[in-house]
Amino acid sequence: MRRFELLEPESFTAASAALLEHPEAKAIAGGTALLILIKHGVYIPELLVNLRKIPGMADITWDAATGLRIGALASINDVERSPLVREHLPMLAEACHVVANIRIRNLATIGGNVAHGDYQSDPPTALVALGAVVELTTATGSRDLPLADFLLGAYETALEPGELVSAVRVPPPGAGWRSAYLKFTTRSSEDRPAVGVATLLQLDGGTVREARLVVGAVTVTPSRMTEVEAYLGGRTLDAGTLAQVGRMVAARIEPIDDIRGSAAYKRRLAGVQAERALELCSTMGAAR
Amino acid sequence: MTSIGIDAPRVDGPAKVTGQATYTADIVLPGMLHAKVLRSTLPHARLVRIDVSAAERELGVITLTRDDLAGIDPYYGAVLKDQPVVAIDRVLFAGDVVAVVAAESRDIAEEALDLIEVEYEALPSVGDPFAAQAPGAPILHAERNTPEVQFLDMKSVHFQADSNVCSIYHVAQGDFEAGYAAADHKFDDVYTVPTIQHGHMEPHASTAYWEPGGKLVVHTATQNPSVIRTQLAEMFSLPESMVRVIVPYLGGGYGAKTYPKLEPIVAVLSRKAKRPVSLVLTREEVFMTAVRHAASVRIRTGINNDGQIVARKVEATYDTGAYADIGPRTCKNGGYASGGPYRIEHQDLTSYCVYTNRPPSGAFRGFGVPQVCWPYESQMDDMARRLGVDPVALRRQNLIHEGDTFVTGDKLIAIGLDKCLEEVASAIGWKGIESTRPMPSDKPGFVRGIGIAVMIKSTMTPSNSAASVRLNSDGSATLLTSSVEMGQGPHTALAQIVAETIGLPLNRVTITFPDTDFTPYDQSTSSSRTIFSMGHAAQKAGLQIRDQLLEIAAKQLEASPGDLQIEEGIIAVKGSPDRSLTIPQAFRAHFGTPVGSLFGAFDFQTTGGLRPEDGKGKASAFWFLSAAGAEVEVDTRTGKIRVIKAVTVVDTGKTINPRQCWLQNEGSMLTALGSALQEEMVFDNGQPVNSSFLDYLMPSMEDYPDEFQSMLVETPHPEGPFGAKGMGEAALGPVAPAIGNAVSNALGGIRLRDLPLRPERVLDAIDAAAASGAAASGAAASGAAGAGNGGEAAR
Amino acid sequence: MKRLISTTINGRERELAVAPNRTLLEVLREDLQLTGAVEGCGVGQCGSCTVLVDGRPVSSCLTLATNVEGRSVTTIEGVAPAGQLSAVQQAFINRQAFQCGFCTPGMIMAVEGLLRDEPGAGEAQIRDYLSGNLCRCGTYSAVIDAVKDVIAEVGAARDRASAG
Repeated sequence: MRRFELLEPESFTAASAALLEHPEAKAIAGGTALLILIKHGVYIPELLVNLRKIPGMADITWDAATGLRIGALASINDVERSPLVREHLPMLAEACHVVANIRIRNLATIGGNVAHGDYQSDPPTALVALGAVVELTTATGSRDLPLADFLLGAYETALEPGELVSAVRVPPPGAGWRSAYLKFTTRSSEDRPAVGVATLLQLDGGTVREARLVVGAVTVTPSRMTEVEAYLGGRTLDAGTLAQVGRMVAARIEPIDDIRGSAAYKRRLAGVQAERALELCSTMGAAR
Repeated sequence: MTSIGIDAPRVDGPAKVTGQATYTADIVLPGMLHAKVLRSTLPHARLVRIDVSAAERELGVITLTRDDLAGIDPYYGAVLKDQPVVAIDRVLFAGDVVAVVAAESRDIAEEALDLIEVEYEALPSVGDPFAAQAPGAPILHAERNTPEVQFLDMKSVHFQADSNVCSIYHVAQGDFEAGYAAADHKFDDVYTVPTIQHGHMEPHASTAYWEPGGKLVVHTATQNPSVIRTQLAEMFSLPESMVRVIVPYLGGGYGAKTYPKLEPIVAVLSRKAKRPVSLVLTREEVFMTAVRHAASVRIRTGINNDGQIVARKVEATYDTGAYADIGPRTCKNGGYASGGPYRIEHQDLTSYCVYTNRPPSGAFRGFGVPQVCWPYESQMDDMARRLGVDPVALRRQNLIHEGDTFVTGDKLIAIGLDKCLEEVASAIGWKGIESTRPMPSDKPGFVRGIGIAVMIKSTMTPSNSAASVRLNSDGSATLLTSSVEMGQGPHTALAQIVAETIGLPLNRVTITFPDTDFTPYDQSTSSSRTIFSMGHAAQKAGLQIRDQLLEIAAKQLEASPGDLQIEEGIIAVKGSPDRSLTIPQAFRAHFGTPVGSLFGAFDFQTTGGLRPEDGKGKASAFWFLSAAGAEVEVDTRTGKIRVIKAVTVVDTGKTINPRQCWLQNEGSMLTALGSALQEEMVFDNGQPVNSSFLDYLMPSMEDYPDEFQSMLVETPHPEGPFGAKGMGEAALGPVAPAIGNAVSNALGGIRLRDLPLRPERVLDAIDAAAASGAAASGAAASGAAGAGNGGEAAR
Repeated sequence: MKRLISTTINGRERELAVAPNRTLLEVLREDLQLTGAVEGCGVGQCGSCTVLVDGRPVSSCLTLATNVEGRSVTTIEGVAPAGQLSAVQQAFINRQAFQCGFCTPGMIMAVEGLLRDEPGAGEAQIRDYLSGNLCRCGTYSAVIDAVKDVIAEVGAARDRASAG
């Protein structure tokens, strides 16, 4: 790699101050995305601000009232293996499990994952479906932003200069919700998702009381299918309903072409996988 | 036999599981500089200006450009010397070598690249062989060097000038037009395969330095050290003895490390730098250094109602990229094998090797044959479906047999293909025509199917392998060989051959790494030729030692040499084990004291070659024969295919080490599975789009089939050591068509003709079949299956 | 500018001067001559550079060397005392679970991670965990068998211990 300098602050506020002072610099945490950009010459930095030496920012905590709080420096594998996540938000554990490989999951952080704004990723889809909020910190304070509003486009977020993602919070899902995340790859198990579907259901016997459905990795940010959610309310998840969901999703999603499939193909894929995710969710999705 | 046909433990095991095995990039020499390559950003351009002064001035690096080529022949190439060390007047593909820098560290070298100024004048480019042959296409190599005479088999290849067709090979028998016209059924289809990667985990790496006496020393990850020595000697007008090529372990090759790759660059740059220079490619650069030929194959076949194939015409067009490399041979060997392992009266086979503005294509495991096996074995199943017969039976009816004359004129010997076919059918659970119908899956929306395919392939012929065996007075032996250990296991298998031949315990035989100062000539560690050719040479060399030992012992034991045996290092009179000598005792008897060496040496040249006028003669010293079977599950709603089970059967002649053969077959299967389902280099306006493992996905452990079986049949070859033939790449060819046939059977006859079988393509084919009213799932009767068949009606 | 870090490499405490742009892989190979980890892809996708940091497998090609400050790094050279083989290494030899050997050290390190994270893994879990370590020679079946052997041995040893 070309040479660069590295600042290693010991607090988020110091890191934020450093970023404000050096507007050209970027923050680096796990490094699994940024180092590749540097190696490929896509990004040639003079200075990076290393967040990895900041203590205490990898904690995962649960509060019955406020839900889960994941420190930004928790690794994807930390999230996946956290007993709290597995107990309260199994879908998030699954969406983290299917990211890349064990080595990357051990390096990459949840904060870096959302801050990178990469649409070809699994956790953001699940987190949007779960109503996650990102905690943004500067030297002078912090603000909360729903992840859905934080993600603006491909590699584009609402981060302001000097701002850092310090935590990701997920509200408690409430009783009776089942959830499922379903990743689909077109080439290898090791591929990024061609489509990822996150869904939550509250069932009343066989009838849907409430549903949430988010389709990711086909649009620059995860797409919440609110009309489909509304349609599902009060229906049973029979073959006819699922087929209609598939059609509705396919009609509403506007996928982008990439090497994993054409827009037309992904449109169909999104519909099929939405059906399958709902089916999985209703039959296998852990209820609590 | 005690050492042949056993799962001898690999001698490289302890080094490899402990991380102690040395690969080229591990070699660090005093004062060594690290090189980085500046690569063309355009697929075709004139190099107007190149300025390295800022890089030299600001970072103190040493550079290599077209201005540093005085006094040498800057061109190299396996067949045609058409590739310069660095671009001279033009760049011919995005990724072509424009300049190289050497610095104290890789990061400084990398930064220096940013300081080099290059001015290009963009030229129109050609992205595929058909565009390259269109009127008005830019000619990439207007001036050609004469083909190398080093390769006797190249005489039958017709080199073209004044076009982008680099070479053509043609062979025929009978009268295709007449035979085709008279046939009851005619099939005329076009099949394609894309450019793919070898995927060796070790990127290319070479290190060179010059000794004060003017000798060039190169440590390199190559499959053919002898060829590298020759090419470098020619480049610098040196005697071959003044070029030393040393090869440690290779982290895979699969053809990508044949012929010069980085060696000319480090040789020229280290000459200028007067220090050792190391160049290790990044993975992204590997994508620009060697690829497998994309191909488009039109195949016309006439078959009669009784199942007899009567006529076949194949026109196979290979994309050889910007430089010839070994492409003309790849295309020739693919060309004469393109009719398949069948008795067909009328054949007309042509292959075209065409230059394009793409990375150079070269040798790739399977060597031109997977590109044509995919068409002929896919069409075979379509023909069976049309005729309403069992495709296994149809193959059985038409297969070549022992003693047949191949289209090249070769008299076929050691042909166990019928056994391969029967074994594969049995292992995959083939039940006759019933197996051409979809099988249910327990998952809704999924269907299953099974399919099989067979293949014939040649080996590089003629070719030379020389071996030297040295027996030490303590009864240990060393085989000096230039065969490369790249994972396929020659250090173990050749030791087995030498041990068995002389009669030594296996652990007393050691194999050298190639070092052209000491190890004799070997044409190449490729073409699955090492066991057959080097094994033959080693066996003959070993026999010379055995004969010497027997002669010495005969005097001592007062017996005739014919009455003696050597087992486990003991020379004894047969039937009288008490009348025996150990090897140290034999040395003492011969030399007066247990010192000295006994030598054996043999240079084995296979004979053959093809005539320029008709492309016939003897194409191959032996023939690879293999079969593959696959069971697939197709997700009919997404088009995604999963291979549930794969089976390969290879005729080894005689199996030296069954375990290693299993793993070789597993490797062939896995690479072919990748090429069938997921691998494809994508270009956009001449720019590679996915030249990274992030975007080019090879099969993982989860993609690996639930079940794999490797089976070996043995039809001994008279020239092979103990009857052994080559086998390393034999299993690759039939795997993709076996998968394609299984998919077709799962989908009631839908045929996909373009690899890879991406989910999107499969879904589109299902849609198209549904739209045309053909059955896409369920019970399409074999007679009704026109689905997706571009056969006689469509054209 | 280089910074001094203290870290533990294969059980030995080391003080290292590392430049900010140096990866752990580079430091291991070039500064410490631990060449078992190798670079196959440089982007964390192939697994040939797998090492353990605090017992967890990571891609050393994507780890800044400075980040192992205060941590414990284990490479293939550190899985067994010199001259001895670990249970995993022995199982790889027994099953001939390697061909060219380039991916082998990384594969073995990933297996070490697997045994720690999922000591009772069945075949599906083995494949899931190791699927990020690529082998092009085609040795997956042998690797799976080798891992099953080790898991069975460990299980048998545990059973013996609990029975005793």
